[in-house]
Amino acid sequence: MVLVYIDHDGKKPKKGGLEAVTRARKIAAALGTPVAGLIVGSGLGEAAEEAKKYVDTLYVVDAPEFADYTAEKWTAAAFAAAEKAEARAVVASASRTGRTWTARLATRMDAGLLEDVLELEPSAEAVVAKRYTFLNRVLETQRAAYPVVVTTKPNAAPAAEPKGEGQVEALEVALGELEQKVKVLEKIQEEKKRVSLTEAPVVVTGGRGMGSAEAFRLVEELADLLGGAVGATRAVVDAGWRPYAEQVGQTGKTVQPNLYIALGVSGAVQHQAGMNKSKVVVAVNKDPDAPIFKESDYGIVGDVHQVLPAMIEAVKKLKD
Amino acid sequence: MKYVAIIRQVPDGEAKLREEGGRIDLSGATMILDQMDEYAVEEAIQLKEQHGGEAVIVAFGPERTKEAIRTALAMGADRAVFVKHEGDADPVTEAKALAKVLAEEAPTAVFTGGQQADWDSYALGPAVAEALGWPVVAWTTAFELLGEDRAKAKHDLDEGAQVVEVALPAVFTTQQGLNEPRYPTLPGIMKAKKKEIKEIPAEELGVTGTKVEILGQTIVQIERKQKILDGTKEPEKAAEELIRLLHEEAKVI
Repeated sequence: MVLVYIDHDGKKPKKGGLEAVTRARKIAAALGTPVAGLIVGSGLGEAAEEAKKYVDTLYVVDAPEFADYTAEKWTAAAFAAAEKAEARAVVASASRTGRTWTARLATRMDAGLLEDVLELEPSAEAVVAKRYTFLNRVLETQRAAYPVVVTTKPNAAPAAEPKGEGQVEALEVALGELEQKVKVLEKIQEEKKRVSLTEAPVVVTGGRGMGSAEAFRLVEELADLLGGAVGATRAVVDAGWRPYAEQVGQTGKTVQPNLYIALGVSGAVQHQAGMNKSKVVVAVNKDPDAPIFKESDYGIVGDVHQVLPAMIEAVKKLKD
Repeated sequence: MKYVAIIRQVPDGEAKLREEGGRIDLSGATMILDQMDEYAVEEAIQLKEQHGGEAVIVAFGPERTKEAIRTALAMGADRAVFVKHEGDADPVTEAKALAKVLAEEAPTAVFTGGQQADWDSYALGPAVAEALGWPVVAWTTAFELLGEDRAKAKHDLDEGAQVVEVALPAVFTTQQGLNEPRYPTLPGIMKAKKKEIKEIPAEELGVTGTKVEILGQTIVQIERKQKILDGTKEPEKAAEELIRLLHEEAKVI
């Protein structure tokens, strides 16, 4: 079988989980096997009811000790499910946590690990996958023979449609010594945004050129007007003007919106790694030689403190 | 107590990449110590400075990797173990080889960058931990030693973060925010030349091939229109024209 880990929000599968289902179905078709799903957590009744619609069999690991994520527990759950399903491939979304426990799992299964996969072509013997490397600057084609562990890059695959009622099977996972070595002391919730940065159709990012934390009020205003999210560069986060959760770039988030607006951003390669797959890129910078202009479709050379208010006015006018 | 930083040498993000016969050719590129690994090196050095013991660099790669090792030694690490391997590798294969080195070194804690800037992989730290049967804490932003066998760490999750207490030895992947990596000083660079780099051929650690084969590499460049307007004199006019273009031509608003 092919096993797919279905990430959930406590009520229903997350988009990333359903994208993973799409890829799992493709591999299962090439192997001529059914798809087994796995969900993990505590109090999963509702989420399991939803998740079973996407798979032939759903393994449910539902226990109080799985209320909090640790890589070791999730690996143990996935390994138990993979053994039960005799899985030749395990698929999960390339979320921060997914990228971590899948690496443990691949090592434990002695499987080939295909990370952050954009598209894949499975055969009966192997999976050929395309993914970005070298800070998103190279498209690489990789091949791994079964067994394989695959993580799917968010937003690269369509979310799967439900297809029936899978069989639900509770799975007991005993925690060993390793799984008890990490104790969660505290959970820190990220401030809930109206639009999540990685899923927003428009991202408006401010850089060092904004000059101050206060100046981001206008960045927020433009983002709100366009139904988008606010991003920040590393320099801005380092200066304490914006939270780390908003950082776009190699050490922050990777975004791929329809429209990316960079305000007062010079365009360091580390920043570009997080946004260079955006559909349309717009830059405003006072330095005509700023590298960001080479990576932009549209731009304005000028003082962001003059241009940004004018952009806000122009958008308001357009909406009237 | 012993603190290990696992490092890699990668092309400088600013370096222009070249493609040759469907593969990336790094022979002309400026190579650096992976910036994500700098946080790992810094953390190992700080721990040694605060608690005593040793900061050890462990690296895997071709001969040129020694340059990155020297940088880490110049920052203040004490010595290095270098697993020499020419040709392709993958994170899981590398992890299994490094686990053998680490089992022998028996460190208190291991640090390595959260992502490798050449592979764009997140797997090395977790895979090393798995190969050793140790826990892993990924994307660490704060680390505190609670004694010889326990540490407290804060790390990022998909949304939000977690504070955990971890039984040592364990692997921590590092990122921005954990510390401020120091620059190598001139005396540091001079001293680094005399520090020990123990070389082990990868074959001796059982590396025979790779689990993931690279079939091809192409540089991707999205062609950008680069329609740049002058907004220095009449910012309002430029802004209006820009919004018009985004609405009518690009159709994104």
